[in-house]
Amino acid sequence: MTDMSNRPQNGRYAIEARDLSVYYSDFRAVKTVDLKIEPRKITAIIGPSGCGKSTMLRSFNRMNELVPTAWAEGEVLFQGHNIYGEDVDPVQVRRHIGMVFQKPNPFPKSIYENVAWGARINGYKSNMDELVEKSLRRAALWDEVKDKLDQSGYSLSGGQQQRLCIARTIAVRPEIILMDEPASALDPVATLKIEELMRQLAENYTIIVVTHNMQQAARVSDHTAFFMMDDDRAGYLVEHGPTKELFTNPKDQRTEDYITGRFG
Amino acid sequence: MASRKDSIFQTKDPDFHDNLPRRHRAAKGWQIVLQASTVIGIIVLAALLLNIIDGAFGYVATQNSIEPEQLAMGVQEELMLTAPNTVSSEDDVELAEGIASSPNAIGYFGYAYYLDRADELRPLTVDGVAPTADAVDSGEYGLARPLFLYSTAEIMQEKPEVAAYLNFYLDRVNQEIEDVGYFSLGDEALNAAMLTWMNAMGIETAEAETVSWPVINPQSVSGEVKTAGSSTVYPLSTRMAELFQVAGYSGELEIESIGSTAGFRRFCIEADTDIASASRAINRAEVDLCKKAKREPVEFRVGTDALAIVVSQENDFLTEVTTEQLRQIFTTAETWSDVDPSWPDEPIERFIPGADSGTLDFFAESVFDQELADLPKETLVAILQANVSTGLFRRFESEIPFADRSQENVYGLVVERVVEPEIVQTWPLFESVFSRSDVLAEAAAEHPDAEVSFVSWLNPKFIVNPQSANPERAGVRTAILGSLWTILITILFAFPLGVGAAIYLEEYAVDNQLNHLIQTNINNLAGVPSIIYGMLGLAVFVRLLEALTSGKLFGLVDPTTANGRTILSAGLTLGLLILPLIIINAQEAIKSVPNSLRQAGMGLGATKWQTILHHVLPNAMPGVLTGTILAVSRAIGETAPLVVVGASTFITVDPTSPFSKFTTLPIQIYQWTSRPQDEFRNIAAAAILVLLILLLTLNATAVLLRNRFSKRRMG
Repeated sequence: MTDMSNRPQNGRYAIEARDLSVYYSDFRAVKTVDLKIEPRKITAIIGPSGCGKSTMLRSFNRMNELVPTAWAEGEVLFQGHNIYGEDVDPVQVRRHIGMVFQKPNPFPKSIYENVAWGARINGYKSNMDELVEKSLRRAALWDEVKDKLDQSGYSLSGGQQQRLCIARTIAVRPEIILMDEPASALDPVATLKIEELMRQLAENYTIIVVTHNMQQAARVSDHTAFFMMDDDRAGYLVEHGPTKELFTNPKDQRTEDYITGRFG
Repeated sequence: MASRKDSIFQTKDPDFHDNLPRRHRAAKGWQIVLQASTVIGIIVLAALLLNIIDGAFGYVATQNSIEPEQLAMGVQEELMLTAPNTVSSEDDVELAEGIASSPNAIGYFGYAYYLDRADELRPLTVDGVAPTADAVDSGEYGLARPLFLYSTAEIMQEKPEVAAYLNFYLDRVNQEIEDVGYFSLGDEALNAAMLTWMNAMGIETAEAETVSWPVINPQSVSGEVKTAGSSTVYPLSTRMAELFQVAGYSGELEIESIGSTAGFRRFCIEADTDIASASRAINRAEVDLCKKAKREPVEFRVGTDALAIVVSQENDFLTEVTTEQLRQIFTTAETWSDVDPSWPDEPIERFIPGADSGTLDFFAESVFDQELADLPKETLVAILQANVSTGLFRRFESEIPFADRSQENVYGLVVERVVEPEIVQTWPLFESVFSRSDVLAEAAAEHPDAEVSFVSWLNPKFIVNPQSANPERAGVRTAILGSLWTILITILFAFPLGVGAAIYLEEYAVDNQLNHLIQTNINNLAGVPSIIYGMLGLAVFVRLLEALTSGKLFGLVDPTTANGRTILSAGLTLGLLILPLIIINAQEAIKSVPNSLRQAGMGLGATKWQTILHHVLPNAMPGVLTGTILAVSRAIGETAPLVVVGASTFITVDPTSPFSKFTTLPIQIYQWTSRPQDEFRNIAAAAILVLLILLLTLNATAVLLRNRFSKRRMG
């Protein structure tokens, strides 16, 4: 097993899927995707329900493997390594490519512990208080929780919980953050806050976000990838490009149909 | 609402035929069914508990094979009878003559016999009190006992001849009693008796002083008066009866001398006498017995009997004695100067009533007012030796020599082996509480000599005593310790194994045929009858793994066991029994931990095991513990598999290690309930209460632990 953390980034892309197909048992959920993700940018994955957006996202840090029958074909290159390579430990992949989920899922522990736990189990040995504060500040949550760090993470509102989850994720200092519809369970005000936060985070992190909400994709993302479902119910990449271009001047008819609301 | 039949809102849709009231009725019906089942459940539980409590408390009649006072008295009588220079005779005249003939003689008998020879004898004062009418009447003279008649208001009112006889008796008794040889009552006591008579007859006595005594003419009544009772009162009553008839009573009058106790029985139980005579007051049990026969006894004190301590008129040094001196004079002292140095150095010549005499008993009881418990060790040893078999006495001697035993220890032996209190009948709690008088009456009728007391079968002695064949001495210490040991092994074995298996099955096991089979098997095993586990335990733990379960492997063989029928085997068997329950419950608890937690953990770069250990298990733990508590509670109450594994049916040694032989509370209860004697059912009820308390304590501890656990998780 090679240690990837100290390697210089290889190539100009943060992560790159090459001819990637993802299966559940013998069902192909995503087929032959080639997708290059720009570093320190927000890439949105959009598409109709069931087109394999989430599966695609999860395949970037091998979270799809939590489903016992899932397997992948092809390559995902991260820092010059195929994360599906035989010598790669998925646990290590996830430490570098973090994830924020659709529904806020803080641990039933104190706010402090929520942030500290991930760092601790990954062997973080420096000043923990500092790390917790810094992570919470970056997640724009510090001012709201600094006086109640020992209270349960469950005591926060939905939006705060989601930002806590983001703080928890950045506490382990990943390079890439995957977000699976991070605001879909939140009200518009909380959604706006998350979107602002994403813009701030994009200065330091590469963010890939799955969203149902095309306005959201248009608002926050730099790049957009449009997925669709084929006749065999496998998802595939239709079009990928800078968000502005894709929304104003799509190259593919199907993209145009989708973003203008003709289906989906 | 005006009408509940139809909706108040109009509907034009012909496809809807709603009957809202009917839907509400159905809902209400189901609600009632659900409530009823809850109530029934509670009632059944309450009935069970009440049934147990009913057996665990209540009255018992305890009969001593010999009364301790009697033993103590016997010792004193023996001492008196065997003292040197003692003449004992049943003939009081002989005693009186003997005393009169020597200045160094002393003796005692009924006062009447002193009066016969007042010129030759001289009565002594006892503790400064002379046997005068006043002193006897007031109770100052210690060797006096009252004489009574008992009747009831109803009999007196229904049978005028009885009222007339009592009237005559009270009217004339003080004129005759001294002639018969007893002591007359003082004015106050006699007035009290007369007031009682008037009260019973319904005569207003609010200002008693102004009411004159209504003398009834014996000629005015006829019929039948039946009296029975004390032989002491008998001569007095005979005299009064003769006079009554002389005064003109023409009906029948029957007086029987059968003893005070028998007199009360005739009066209260058979209820065929009108008057009971007695030389002692009626006791509570007898009063209850009478009340049961709808007879409320009224008491008339008619006189007093007294013992005279007499010396010869020739005696020139003795006029008064103390009770303490009497004890010495009639037992250990040899010469008068032994008792008091100022008295002559002459041997004491004692004249006392014989062993069959009630007077001797009365003297011993009154003068040597000594409890069995206070007797010196040597005396108790002597009692023991005289009353138990030689073999048993030798066994006691060989266990611990009597020289090394304490007085308390020997007293304990005497109580256990000679007094031998034995429970002759028991009553359940509710009968004891709600029909108390019936119970006491029944006890007095069937076991007149027994002592009736209210006992809690569940008491500290019951907890700390080991098993015994005698229900009064049996306890549950061995069983409690056995249960605790067994359950400890069970938990140590089943909890880690069960939770481990549950984690594997839920988190790691792949979805394949083999794991399906395992899962199905576990579910089925939870329903296998427990006795099957017993057979498995017998085959595997007791037989196959004997070297392990008997401790031979570790060289720790319990000398009393030496086979696999040990606590370890029992604990492992019960562990097997509850293992499926723990697995299934733990699986459910683990399943209920939301998947998002696992994803959150893994998403942060935690390994699967870290995620399980830090998030899944702690969150599943309250559920796991709930399941474990239920399973362990079941194990504590199990009986059948332990019978098969070989629980000892009768052991008195405490378990000391997993390799000890054992019994448990349920086994003990099972055993006791199958005995024919009533008392075993009572101690079984008490043991069930102990088991319940043990269960509640263990569960409460576990629940407390669990709550602290889940609180900390949420903190």
